[in-house]
Amino acid sequence: MKIIKLNNQNYQKTVQQAVDALKTGGLVIFPTETVYGIGADATNSTAINKLLDYKSRREGKPLSIAVVDQSMANKYVELNDQAKNLYRRFLPGPYTVVSRYKKGLAAGVASEFNTLGIRIPDHKLVIEMVKKLDQPITATSANASGKKRPYTIDDILNNLSHKQKNLIDLIIDAGKLPPNEPSIVIDTTLSTPLTLRGNQEIFSMAKSSDNSLTQTFEDKTVKLVSNSENETQEIAGKLLLKHWDDLSQNGLVIGLDGELGAGKTVFTKGLARFLNISSIINSPTYSYVKEYDFVRHQTKGKLFHIDLWKIDDPQAIQQLQIPALVSPNHLIVIEWWSQLKNSVTQLKTDLNIYLEVIAKNKRSLIIK
Amino acid sequence: MKNNTHHSPPLILAIDTSCDETSAAVVQGRVVLSNIIASQTQIHQPYGGVFPTLAKQAHQENIAPTVKKALDQARIDFRLIDAIGVTQGPGLAPALEVGIEYAQKLAVAHHKPLYGINHLEAHLLSVLAQRNSRKHSIIKKNSSQVTNRFPALGIIVSGGHSQFVRINQIGKYQVLGETVDDALGEALDKVGRMLDLGYPAGAVIEKLAKHGNKGRYDFPLPMTSVKDFNLSYSGLKTAASKLIKEKNEQNKVDSLSKQDIFDFCASFQQAAFRHLCYKLNKLLQDEASSNLSPNYTEVWLGGGVASNIALRKEIRKVLRQHRLRLITPYEKRLCSDNAAMIGITIGLRIMHNQAQPNKKLDRQPSWNL
Repeated sequence: MKIIKLNNQNYQKTVQQAVDALKTGGLVIFPTETVYGIGADATNSTAINKLLDYKSRREGKPLSIAVVDQSMANKYVELNDQAKNLYRRFLPGPYTVVSRYKKGLAAGVASEFNTLGIRIPDHKLVIEMVKKLDQPITATSANASGKKRPYTIDDILNNLSHKQKNLIDLIIDAGKLPPNEPSIVIDTTLSTPLTLRGNQEIFSMAKSSDNSLTQTFEDKTVKLVSNSENETQEIAGKLLLKHWDDLSQNGLVIGLDGELGAGKTVFTKGLARFLNISSIINSPTYSYVKEYDFVRHQTKGKLFHIDLWKIDDPQAIQQLQIPALVSPNHLIVIEWWSQLKNSVTQLKTDLNIYLEVIAKNKRSLIIK
Repeated sequence: MKNNTHHSPPLILAIDTSCDETSAAVVQGRVVLSNIIASQTQIHQPYGGVFPTLAKQAHQENIAPTVKKALDQARIDFRLIDAIGVTQGPGLAPALEVGIEYAQKLAVAHHKPLYGINHLEAHLLSVLAQRNSRKHSIIKKNSSQVTNRFPALGIIVSGGHSQFVRINQIGKYQVLGETVDDALGEALDKVGRMLDLGYPAGAVIEKLAKHGNKGRYDFPLPMTSVKDFNLSYSGLKTAASKLIKEKNEQNKVDSLSKQDIFDFCASFQQAAFRHLCYKLNKLLQDEASSNLSPNYTEVWLGGGVASNIALRKEIRKVLRQHRLRLITPYEKRLCSDNAAMIGITIGLRIMHNQAQPNKKLDRQPSWNL
């Protein structure tokens, strides 16, 4: 283990020594704009194994890597729009952006769920090391797992076993670092939508109407305008009344779509009001499914309020066992239905409703 | 309870599979000996899905190793366990089922009493959890009974729930107000998503807000005209969405800058907390002016958002006017969904004679307090 005290004179030489150590599979401790990091060539599996030994007891925390720019990141991870916006706004800087891993790195660098955190440090030394090595290096903090945040070399060394110390090849000591927080981790892998994705054809076919319920309900696709939450709820109730026989004979499945804040839950509240459900209908986003008992028209039944916003995987939606809920007197309302309508073939909706914000309290409802 | 006199609080193995996380814990009375949350550990194998722990299958794979790890870390032999507790609801039915089935199987096979627990009650009581001060030894003395702290006002703020609850005794609760649409944590997550801050974004917003100007963007204060103590976050969410859209349309070349996002996070978080604090203050004023019920002795804050320091600060500001103290769980892990809070809930219920073991438990996905 070699320690170099970094200064203006030995700067270039230090970069070279670090790169040499990394090239031969060594571990290098280096300063960043947050805490001291420990680097290994992320493409070298011997080096990565050494690093995993050093960190020990990781408890599933994934490693992250330092790259010089977005195009280098793009080699190893899939960058979605959200990630690209983050890169543009926040990087270089003290942020770790987690994306889906592609390939090209040693085993054990990406997480067990195939995700990878990317850093573009706002620190000249690190960037030059990576540039010269021409490979990404790991950018995990240099402390042993569960130990103090490393702002000085002593913070690190005082908490290491003899064995761990022996694993380090080079330490670049830049003195005491300012007490900046560790990088902020932003996970972009769960692609929760902002607006409806996929095809909107079914809704674009909708024709404008004169907002008269009786007339328009005769057509297959109708567009209504609601001027208040109360009106949206009334429309929901009338719609349910129209389909009451379907509900009591086979059960009714309603797919709801529209961007965040469009009023999908308001619509469901209207259905619940019609069903005389007295408990509060609040958002099922977190728990995916909420169920309520109702009694209306001498009929006992259940309302299942489902939210697919957090789910973008067909396998996961299978686990919700939605088709098993379909039975007479069960009303199943699914928010963000279009997210997965193509992947759940055994489930068909009876009604699809697309809500759109026109103005503060004004919404258009396209019903098919 | 055969090995325990009343001097020694019961040893409990607890399981929570209410939603995304698989968790198991060992507690003694209200002392946490271990608290394992599977999504944060390396005990399960890669699972194809995007949201690995949502899947019932993932819970099934995780449950046995998670329970084993909880026992190992607590250094407790399973034979010493006095009771088994499991979350019965509220939560996602297929997920709840996994925990309940496993707990039931263990209870029957080893002749242990089984208790079904309400996840929301556990969030309320999580503030009573105690750190294991003498590691690797079982606490003998430690009067774990809670007395003279009632009635307390409980506040649950999480991704799935936002409630004010009057806690009259262990096991005696009254919901005073709750969200009529989105939960506080959910509103933060969703607005974070609108700002491209990934998911879940609540914790990211908290950190970015520190660099922002909370006075820069204006948000409405919801529900001021109604007399109740309910909360509503969907209006704030819609207002945020509208503001972001306007901003993006104004600057066609480059949309929100880094500083804009810092300011937005600070402003929105402030507005979200202000709404909660407004209702909290109203509730306390209302209680103070009516002489029907004894005043609160303490305010307890639980749930995922309870770890937000800015929220604690805002709540304390309100409580100071009412000469009340805010109590929060001793660590962050106890705020999120975890099994230790389930364990101490059973511990407290047993110690306060409020517990009834069950032979067979049914999941209760929509169980209210």
